[in-house]
Amino acid sequence: MHIPDAFIPLPQAAVYWIIALIFIALALRWARRELSEEKIPLVAILAAGIFAIQAVNIPIPWGTSGHMMGAALAAIVLGSPFAAVFILTLVLIVQGVLFGDGGLTVMGANIINMGVIGGFVGYYSYRGLLPVFKSPYAPAFIAGWLSLFVAALACAVEMAVAGTFPLELGLFSMGLYHAVIGIIEGGITAFAIYLIATARPDIMADTTVVPA
Amino acid sequence: MMDKKIFILAGIAIALIIAAMAPFIASSNPDGLESAFFGIFGAKDLRGSTLDEEMAGTAEEEVTAITGNEYSFESPFPDYSIEGLAKFGEAAAVIIGTLVVVGIAFGLSRVVARKG
Repeated sequence: MHIPDAFIPLPQAAVYWIIALIFIALALRWARRELSEEKIPLVAILAAGIFAIQAVNIPIPWGTSGHMMGAALAAIVLGSPFAAVFILTLVLIVQGVLFGDGGLTVMGANIINMGVIGGFVGYYSYRGLLPVFKSPYAPAFIAGWLSLFVAALACAVEMAVAGTFPLELGLFSMGLYHAVIGIIEGGITAFAIYLIATARPDIMADTTVVPA
Repeated sequence: MMDKKIFILAGIAIALIIAAMAPFIASSNPDGLESAFFGIFGAKDLRGSTLDEEMAGTAEEEVTAITGNEYSFESPFPDYSIEGLAKFGEAAAVIIGTLVVVGIAFGLSRVVARKG
């Protein structure tokens, strides 16, 4: 759901950039406070993996395709929604500047949707569901699905404000496609957490433990 | 438990393998946002699978007229392609992107975290 430049008028795009910059500043503060020497390689691996997997568009019905976003995964593994903002911002900058994937003037909106909304919805739905399921995998799947779905609806609202999509049809179309793409998001999120928890249980120790 | 160095190398290796395979396995169908856009602008049915190329072009002109945002940017590797190199160029482009992301993520994390 990388928004191209033409989809949002410049004044609105500037507002999204300002909001995005506030969250980027908060993400940098998170990195300064929470990013230990131990976790730096994990940030690099997650950023690389998320960039690569975002290049894999998987076909869904209706002549459409979709790829994983990765915000829920980043937030869950690193234990903060700001980790998703940090990593997705890096990924979006490289995609936009080197590959023309997602506009530059509208990058603020893409950072809000995929980094901020994806990260916060993914992280807090995972934390909320963990005590219910008592295992990390079902919560990770649902958190992945929900993070992508809510980000897509937010994108539809932005398109309506921009005058690009009518609100109802935009919400319906974006909701329909991303309800299916969300299955990819949820599945890969749960699988990646399984891989990381298997290879390095110490990393996931804080985030997979069920709160008492 | 996997050794820390091996874990890092394995993680980056997995990312690079996905990057190398991406152009060969990825679908070229429009993504969710593009599909919604083409559907709303009459170039595709919501649940249809065929895209009217001509209408798609018109849709892009129409949306630019609506928003007035004519900004366009010449990226060095547009749509993950390298000029003159077909699929292997795309694989190279995604691998380059992955390595750039690793470099920036490591570098920035080091610089920011050190201040703490």
